[in-house]
Amino acid sequence: MIFSIFTKSIKEQLRNFWILILTVLMAPFFVFVYFLINESSQPHYDILVLNLDQGMQQGGTQLTLGDSIVPALKDHIVSMENAPLDIKSTPSRERAVHDLETRKAEALLVLPAEFTQSIMGPDPVAAEVEIVGDLTSTGYLISAVWLGALVENYLADISQKAPLYSVKETALGHSDQVDEFELFIPGMLILSIIMLMFSATVAIITEVDQGTILRLKLSGMKAWQFLIGVGATQVIVGILAILLTLATAASLGFEMRGSLGSFFLIAILTSISMIAFSLILAAMTRSVTDVLVVGNFPLFLFMFFTGAAFPISASPWFHVGNYGVSWQSLMSPSAAISALNKISIMGMALGDVWGELLVLAIVTVAYFLLGLWSFNKRHLQTN
Amino acid sequence: MITVSHLKKNFGELIAVDDLSLEINQGEILGFLGPNGAGKTTTIRMLCGLLEKDGGDISWDTTQNLSEAMGVCTQENIFWPRLTCLEQLIFMGQMHKMSRIAAKSRSLEILDVLGLASKKDTLASKLSGGMKRRLNIALALVHDPPVLILDEPEAGLDPQSRILVRDLIQSLARKKTVILTTHNMDEAERLADRIAIIDKGKLLEVGSVEDLKQSLGTGDFLEMRFRDNLESMFQNEDSAAWQLKQSLESTPELSAARINFSGDKLTIRSTQALEKLSLVTDAVGTVDLEILDIQLRKTTLEDVFIHLTGRALRE
Repeated sequence: MIFSIFTKSIKEQLRNFWILILTVLMAPFFVFVYFLINESSQPHYDILVLNLDQGMQQGGTQLTLGDSIVPALKDHIVSMENAPLDIKSTPSRERAVHDLETRKAEALLVLPAEFTQSIMGPDPVAAEVEIVGDLTSTGYLISAVWLGALVENYLADISQKAPLYSVKETALGHSDQVDEFELFIPGMLILSIIMLMFSATVAIITEVDQGTILRLKLSGMKAWQFLIGVGATQVIVGILAILLTLATAASLGFEMRGSLGSFFLIAILTSISMIAFSLILAAMTRSVTDVLVVGNFPLFLFMFFTGAAFPISASPWFHVGNYGVSWQSLMSPSAAISALNKISIMGMALGDVWGELLVLAIVTVAYFLLGLWSFNKRHLQTN
Repeated sequence: MITVSHLKKNFGELIAVDDLSLEINQGEILGFLGPNGAGKTTTIRMLCGLLEKDGGDISWDTTQNLSEAMGVCTQENIFWPRLTCLEQLIFMGQMHKMSRIAAKSRSLEILDVLGLASKKDTLASKLSGGMKRRLNIALALVHDPPVLILDEPEAGLDPQSRILVRDLIQSLARKKTVILTTHNMDEAERLADRIAIIDKGKLLEVGSVEDLKQSLGTGDFLEMRFRDNLESMFQNEDSAAWQLKQSLESTPELSAARINFSGDKLTIRSTQALEKLSLVTDAVGTVDLEILDIQLRKTTLEDVFIHLTGRALRE
């Protein structure tokens, strides 16, 4: 009986073309959109240098540090891999301020007339350089920090003094190899399964909408048999959707760093969770039209408050393993996204995410119990 | 035999089925008649196990679960629009625990009987209205149930399909117990072995068509249709209709007859109705009324139905 329901459900799903397309293509579409956003918004900071340095005579020759600072800073930038900076000279303060105001540059470094004298003169004093910019701009803040470090390095070079400290940066997991686009992918992968909410609910509620639930009830079919038959189809749709999303992400540069087995386990668990949630949604609706209207509310919640579309993280109430349980955990995709982040970005093993898996399983069981009770009460009861 | 004893169902204040008792014999076709809201569907839903009863008992004399032994052809066409005719019949057969091979063989047979063999691979949503109706009947028959409930099976069918379905129902006689609900008195009269008439949740009468007709007494109907609405003229005691009524009621030969004015129609039920015709036409001749049509007919099931349930329209 379950196999008959499963094969019937597969046929209907394949013939319900538009719902299938909506379910499997939504997340790949979002991946592509994030890729485009990421590509068009790579950070880049232009820094201007206004050289007013008059220099000084040293051993019969004119020495002007200001003249050599721009090429020297550029050399430093080259030595700093991936630093998104560009240093340019500017002829006047007025021109520089105009460029800052029109966002053609983020910061202006002004070298004073006595710059060389202050550093290289017989009585060295601290050279007073000026940094100009819009203090409310994040671009300025980042540029100013970079600029401070660059000037410090330059001065250490010319004064031939060893730096007082050096910094060694250690990346956590594979975070040194991950760009901003890749950080969004685990959320997108789970979004592809969140979309299952629509096709699963439609598959269930269609039987109510077209009245065929009556025929199924007369056949003596049990609710759990129906749910397993329909659910199996939806797990396949869920796997298809997440694979398509993963393929899209991989083709745009995403690299899966954890094990594929762990990835599939999380995908299947999340699919089952969404099917369980679909039962609750089916209990709240009577027709396919209802599903497409009412279903948007949980979709928004799951999309925007679980970290699927934006990285939101609430303060935890308590911890299960390494997973912080918060109000977000009431939405099962939240735990799934956390687990997938750790596996696909940090390269962690399944044992490192047992907290997430446990919470995901508990919330799924809660969804199932609530869904089964409410669906039975609304659509299967005989009084 | 299916035995229904003191069946009750309330929906809040509304008494939908009120102490209904009925025996349905194995192999008979029982016509289940009643106006809208009479309680037919509620009774049938309780018979099928789709609705819990508030009181009474439903039993039948085999060990098989009654609801699973039933095939139901609902008033609305209920099928899977994205499955072909054959696919959904096989599916329904399998849901009733038939093997796939048996379900397929039975499905093809039913499709052939109902004139849908050429449409076996067509999606149900692509069928015409009449074909959808026949598919609905096929879905009720596919698992070869011993009890068949047909709710308005001829509704929406063209005359050819109606004959085909009627022949099918007649062919089921004696092989299956058929409960047939319909508003079509002609359909019920032609097909049913017995008729049960229900109204306001109560069983009013049950018996063969002839028994029910006999319950109205002997005699035929004489019907006359007039150009004017007679009923509306009764407010005025000087009106022609009023004078005609007085005249007929004072005629000694018509003292035993049932005289009824309804709209533009005068109906007289009497023995030897034909012999009373001249008396009536004479009475009409004395007043200013024009006869459009005269009919002399036998008692019909509709007469019984109207007699038992009244003429008032139902919501």
